[in-house]
Amino acid sequence: MSATTETFATGMPVEIGKIERELKKLWEQGGEKMTRASLINLAVYSEAPDSLRANTRIIAQITEDHASRAIVIAADPSAKEDRVEAWISAHCHVSRAGRKQICSEQISFALAGSLAKLLPNIVFSHLDSDLPFYLWWQGEFHDPMDAQLWTWVDRLIYDSQPWCDFDAQMRLVQTAQEEANQRVVLCDLNWTRLVQIRLAIAQFFDAPAALEHLGSVQRVEITHTTGHRSTAVLLAGWLAAQLGWALVEGADETTLSFSDCAGEAIRVTLQETEGEPISRCSLHCGTTEFRVLHPRGADLLEVGTELDGTERTHQLMPASRNDPVSLMSEELMRGGPHRVYLRAVEAVRELL
Amino acid sequence: MEQSAGEVRNPLRDGILTRSVPEACTVVIFGATGDLTHRKLIPALYNLAADGELPPELAVIGIARRPKTDDEFRNELQEAVQKFSRQTVRDELWNSFAKAISYQKSEFHDADGYQRLGERLQQIEEERETGGNRLFYLAVAPDQFPPILQHLAAANLNKPREGAWARVIVEKPFGTDLASARELNRIVSEAFPEESTYRIDHFLGKETAQNILVLRFANAIFEPLWNTRYIDHVQITAAETLGLEGRAGYYEGAGALRDMVQNHLLQLLCLVSMEPPTDLRADSIRDEKVKIVRSLRRLTAEAVATDVVRAQYSDGAIAGKPVVAYRAEENVKRDSKTETFVALRLQIDDWRWADVPIYMRVGKRLPKSGTEISVHFQKAPSVLFNKESDALDQNVLVIRIQPDEGISLRMQAKVPGTSFRIESVKMDFHYGTSFGKASPEAYERLLLDAMSGDATLFARRDEVEQAWDFIDRIESAWREPEAPQLYEYPAGTWGPEAADELLARDGRAWRRL
Repeated sequence: MSATTETFATGMPVEIGKIERELKKLWEQGGEKMTRASLINLAVYSEAPDSLRANTRIIAQITEDHASRAIVIAADPSAKEDRVEAWISAHCHVSRAGRKQICSEQISFALAGSLAKLLPNIVFSHLDSDLPFYLWWQGEFHDPMDAQLWTWVDRLIYDSQPWCDFDAQMRLVQTAQEEANQRVVLCDLNWTRLVQIRLAIAQFFDAPAALEHLGSVQRVEITHTTGHRSTAVLLAGWLAAQLGWALVEGADETTLSFSDCAGEAIRVTLQETEGEPISRCSLHCGTTEFRVLHPRGADLLEVGTELDGTERTHQLMPASRNDPVSLMSEELMRGGPHRVYLRAVEAVRELL
Repeated sequence: MEQSAGEVRNPLRDGILTRSVPEACTVVIFGATGDLTHRKLIPALYNLAADGELPPELAVIGIARRPKTDDEFRNELQEAVQKFSRQTVRDELWNSFAKAISYQKSEFHDADGYQRLGERLQQIEEERETGGNRLFYLAVAPDQFPPILQHLAAANLNKPREGAWARVIVEKPFGTDLASARELNRIVSEAFPEESTYRIDHFLGKETAQNILVLRFANAIFEPLWNTRYIDHVQITAAETLGLEGRAGYYEGAGALRDMVQNHLLQLLCLVSMEPPTDLRADSIRDEKVKIVRSLRRLTAEAVATDVVRAQYSDGAIAGKPVVAYRAEENVKRDSKTETFVALRLQIDDWRWADVPIYMRVGKRLPKSGTEISVHFQKAPSVLFNKESDALDQNVLVIRIQPDEGISLRMQAKVPGTSFRIESVKMDFHYGTSFGKASPEAYERLLLDAMSGDATLFARRDEVEQAWDFIDRIESAWREPEAPQLYEYPAGTWGPEAADELLARDGRAWRRL
C-alpha cells in the first residue's frame, strides 16, 4: 500500500465532447511529478442516489493497488428530465519507490432520464484502447440487458448477495454471456467473499493422508449473518461441485441434503448469527472436525482441526474483509476464468 | 508447476491457486543464529505464515553452537522479523507462528547432536503431524557443508520414511572451483539424491528474473527477433555502491568473478539466452539452461588477456562521501590481488547466438547500484533516415532486475517540428507503477518452492559444474606468472578504462545506467 493518497474527489466538470482534451490538460498540469498508470478500464455503474461520491471514494482506494482508467457512472433512468454531465479527476499516490506520484484518471458521468440508455454510446467511447474492460454493475440487472454492452466487456463484476431473485438475474447474466460468445468472465463478489474461507478449508486436505477425509464428509455446519444465506449456500455449492455431491430434494431454510458418489448422505446445516458474512464452517468427517472460524470484526481466520473433541492443529490465516474496496481489490488481483464459481452455482442454483 | 504421475489432487484447490502447494514439513536450519536466518529466512517464513501460505503443521528447528533456550531464540527472531520483514509484525500472528519454532544447541561436528536432532524430529513429527517430511537448510559457511551432510547421513536423517521426503537447501557459494564443487556435489549426493538437492541462488527468486521467461516466451513479438540476425549484442551489469560490508573474510578468497559471475550473472545469462523449454517442468527448464553454460566458449589464457578485465577499487567517493581503497578495508591484505570489478566479453557457441557478443560487468563501489540486462538490436538499414550518417541509435530492450524492477524499450522517433530530426525515446514499464502490490521477497518464493518440491528456480549439479568449468579457466589464467594486469579504479567510477576499451574496440560502449 502506498504512503499517501491524494484524491481530487469532486472532479472538474467537462463537456462530454472535450473529455480527452481536458484529460490531456490535466496531465500536462501535473508535469513530470505525476505518472499516469493504467492496466485496465474499470467502469462502475450504479443507480443508487449519491453513488457518484461513494464510488469515487472507493475508486480512489482501489487504484492504489490497481492502476486503472476509471469510469464512474451514476444513472437515474426514472428522472423526468434528460441530463448528461461529466467530470474528470485523478487519484494519485506515492509509488513504493517513493519518488513519483502514480495517478489513475477517473471520468465520471451522471446520466438521467432517457439518456441513461445511452450508456454504451456515451461512456464506452472513453475506454483506454487495448486495455481490458471490467464493468462493475452495482445492483440488479435490467431486463432485457443492453446487448451492445457485451461486445465491450471482458469481466462483468456484480454482487449476487442482495439479489431478490437469483435465478432470474443469473439468467439475464448468462444470456448476456451467450451473446458475447462466452467471452465475458462472470465475477460475483459474493463468491469473492468466500476466497479466504475456501483457501482455509482447502489447505486442510493438501496432505495425501488428509485428502482421504474428503470422501467421508458426513456433516457440514455453516454459520452466516443476516442477509448472507446466499453466501452460505454458495459455499455449500462449492463443496458439492468439487466433491461430486448431488443435491437431494427436501431442503429447507436451514438444512440442505446431498448425496455423494457412493450414495452416502451429507447434511449441510445453515445457522444465522450476527457477525461476519460466514463466521463458521465446519466439516465433520468421522471423528475429525475441520473448522474455520471468523470472529466478528477480526481480520484473521482461526483455522483448526479436532480429533475426538481434542484440538490437533490451530493456525491463523488472513480473512476476507466485507467492504467494497477489499472485495474489489481481491477480485481484481485474482483474475482467472471462474469456472469453479459456475460449477458451484449450478450445484445449488435452485436454492439460491 | 509439477505434479508427479499418479498423484491425487486436492479438488478444493481448483481455481484457487496457480502454483504448487507447500507440503507439511519440519524445516531444520543449520546456522540458526546467523545473519541469513535473521535477515532473510525467518522473515520470509513469517511473511508466508501471515499470508496463510504455510501448512499449519510446519515446524522450524534452529541449530547453532550458542547455548540458548527456545524462548530466547524466539525472542531474538521476533526482533529480527520486526526489523527485516516486509510487513508489520502482528503479535497474534507471530505468537501463533513462533509456537512452531524451537532451538537446539549443537556443534556441527558433534555426532550426538544429530542423534538428539533425530529424536527431536520424531517427536515434532508426531506432535505436529508433518508426515515425516524434512527440509534441511544449510545457512552456514561452505566449509561446514561436508560435516553437516556427512553427519546427517550417518544419523540416517537424510532418509525419509515411506511416503515422506527429505530435502536439502544449500546456500552459495557452491564450491570455490570445479574440483571443490565436484567434491561438494559428491558429498551432497552421498546424503541426498539430486532431485532432493536445492542449490539456492536468490537472484532466481526475484520477480523480474522469473519474468524474463514470460517476456520472451509469452510475447510473440520478441522471440522471432531474439537471435544473431537481429541482436547486435547483449550487456549484463550488476553494479553496487557498497564495499565489503564486513564480508572481507569471504570476499578476499572469492572476488567478483566467483562471488557474482559464477552464479547470479550466469543464471541471468541462461534465462535471457536459453531456447524455449518443452514444458515448465523443473528439468525441462534446467536442461535448456545447462546447454547455454555448456555452449559458453571457454577462454584460453590469451583470450582472458584480451576479453576479461579485472580491477580493484582505490580511494574515491560514493555519493559525495569519501571511501577508502579496497586494500585499506578492515581484514583485507594490504597487497591483496582480489578483484572487486570484472568485465567480460563472452560468446555462446550455438546457432542462435553465433557472433553475438555478451558483455558482462560486475563491481563494487560503482557510482550507482543496479542489476540489468540490455539487449541491443542491430541498427536499421542505412537507406532512409540515416542515409547520410550512422547517428541513429539501436533499439535497446532493458530488463531491470533491481532496483525499480521493470522493462524499457528504446526506439527512434521524429522530434516534432518542421525539420526532420530523429531522437531516441524510451517506453518504460515499472512494476511498482503498474502493480501496487509489493512482490514477495525472493526467499519466500524459493522456500515455498522447496517445500512443494519444485526445483525450477534452483541450480542443478551439471549447471553448477559447467559454470565452474568456465570460471576456472579465467581464474587459472589469472594465477599464471604472465597473468593479465589487475587494474585500479577510483571508488565511485564505472571501473577502469580497460573495461570501456573492451567494448570500444568492437565499436560499442557500455550502456549508461
